[in-house]
Amino acid sequence: MQDGDPHEAERESGGALGWGGEIGGLILLAVSIVFIVGGLQLGLGEPRRLGTGAFPFLTGLLLAVLATAICVVERRGDGLAEVPDWLSALAICAALAVFALTVGRIGLVPGVFLTVIVASLPDRSLSWPGKAALGLGVGLGCWLVFVELVNLPIKPFPGW
Amino acid sequence: MDILANFGQGLLTVLEPQNLLYCFIGVFLGTFIGVLPGIGSMAAIAMILPLTFYLDPTPALVMIAGVFYGAEYGGSTASILLNVPGTPAASITAIEGHQLAKKGRAGVALFSTATASFGGGIIGMIVIAVLSPSLAQLALAFGPADYFAVILLGLIAASAVSNGGALKGIAMVVTGLMLGTIGIDLTTGTLRFTMGIPELRDGVHIVVIAMGLFGVSEVIASIRTNIRGTAAQTVDYNDFYPTRAEWKSLPGPILRGSSIGSFIGALPGTGQTIAAALAYAVEKRVSPQRKDFGTGVVAGVAVPEAANNSATQTAFIPTLTLGVPGSPPMAIVIGALMIYGITPGPRLLVDEPEMFWGLVASFLVGNILLLILNVPLIGIWVRLLRIPYRYMYPTIVVLICMGVYSLNNNVFDVWLTLVIGVIGYLMRLFRFEPAPLLLGFVLGPMMEEHLRRTMLLSRGDPMVFLERPISATLLAITAAIIVFALYSTGRNRRRARAAHRQAQQEGSKQ
Repeated sequence: MQDGDPHEAERESGGALGWGGEIGGLILLAVSIVFIVGGLQLGLGEPRRLGTGAFPFLTGLLLAVLATAICVVERRGDGLAEVPDWLSALAICAALAVFALTVGRIGLVPGVFLTVIVASLPDRSLSWPGKAALGLGVGLGCWLVFVELVNLPIKPFPGW
Repeated sequence: MDILANFGQGLLTVLEPQNLLYCFIGVFLGTFIGVLPGIGSMAAIAMILPLTFYLDPTPALVMIAGVFYGAEYGGSTASILLNVPGTPAASITAIEGHQLAKKGRAGVALFSTATASFGGGIIGMIVIAVLSPSLAQLALAFGPADYFAVILLGLIAASAVSNGGALKGIAMVVTGLMLGTIGIDLTTGTLRFTMGIPELRDGVHIVVIAMGLFGVSEVIASIRTNIRGTAAQTVDYNDFYPTRAEWKSLPGPILRGSSIGSFIGALPGTGQTIAAALAYAVEKRVSPQRKDFGTGVVAGVAVPEAANNSATQTAFIPTLTLGVPGSPPMAIVIGALMIYGITPGPRLLVDEPEMFWGLVASFLVGNILLLILNVPLIGIWVRLLRIPYRYMYPTIVVLICMGVYSLNNNVFDVWLTLVIGVIGYLMRLFRFEPAPLLLGFVLGPMMEEHLRRTMLLSRGDPMVFLERPISATLLAITAAIIVFALYSTGRNRRRARAAHRQAQQEGSKQ
């Protein structure tokens, strides 16, 4: 994936021709319906005294029109802007999830250590000791900057 | 003379040790992040923003501004040396800059960039100092209907020219307006779209949106491009300064670039990329060296850089005098000011003169600092580009997490950033620009408030928008922009299809 030839990349993105705009349009349409219905439930009020739901309702309506237009116009869209890198996307999302799950439970330094390890998974050029060293370095750096200097109330290590 | 006196006062403010320190930290960190390929000024500001919450408003604003123009400045270094623009606007600099670098004249390109950026920055600063007070004076006559119209104009101007096409850009603005309604409705106290999640009562934090849409998605997209190793060129210090002829060819492009940049930057909603692209296009027609453009011309590096940097400065004019962001990063500046309880708008110059003039004077100090950082110390940044990206991006991911977590000391914001990051990456793939969404998100609550107030004052008559001369003019301009943008998007699409069909026909003949 990392060193794929550019023509292959073009073919891959070309294979996605036609559905990029439509999917985007459909998602926006779904979002607009949520806000239209939500706006109606909150209450539109009257022209002189607009209700809580008026602005979400009006913007929802506008988005519904735009989303429908996108679905129609983008039917023969330009395909994806770039070849998706799902592996990196997964690793970065997993890294954020690991941070959210660990920092409060096992402390900042071990949490950041694990976050760095997970984030660096898609990169096979960095050895495991290298990943560990980077994780430890960034973890200790965060402790110094965020706990000691900025005084964020986070425990740096478990049971600290 | 008032302007000079105020500017002098501002200079005294910014030269206070604390403000000077944060100005330096701002431009340094901005250049640092801007140099990293693929990470733009939006992500840079979003990453720094949580740190500024510990400061007073003036040093915070000075630092945010420093990060902004520092990142724009640093972006050009990456674009010249690697042909991987650090910021979108720097891609124009890359056209001539990378050609010069390929000829072994990277040093000359970097020096011209530094000089042109400085020139552009200073001219932009003068324009702010001269124009802002009179514009603020004019804006004092604005009623709620006029404000609604000027916000609408800013949003449409920013979205209609976005890369993905006018339709998608406007859809993103509207999505942003809707996201801005999440949380407590300040007028009635009712909760909206919080889905029973207590953390959403105060709405989604702007840092979460900016980090997700720009930070997370830019990191994901930059990994594969950059991980194969950086191939930074060496800079030969013996060949760092332009030749005498090149020196002579610099002032013209800098002046022309700065004039175009200052004008474009001051329009609400437009950005540095448009300024740089337009200035380059104009220079390509008027320059005495126009025949050599594309082969690596010093003037071709100077023009977009001067335009970019002056637009970066003048983007503060509508932001601070009208409360309408001059460019997407300015939306974050508005968000930051609101966190401090300061409402950007014509009253800002009257109520917070020290902050306003301190900021304007900080542009002078910041640009001098940048000149020092980028001429004698250019070696640092060249070396930074040699640090393999595999060490950089996991660190950036941690900084994003820390920045978001520190907002409320709550991991909920990290989860939300994850979700918005995934949406941001999909938007990137599907060619939906994130910047208009952020603009809509910041301006949505303001727009809703002005709409409600207008309707209340007019006793429910929407015709008031067309009866007031200021709002009617602004709405007419907005309508013209929409018509033009839709027409040109359609025309480009038809041309692309025709070219595609022609290519297919030629392919089948063969």
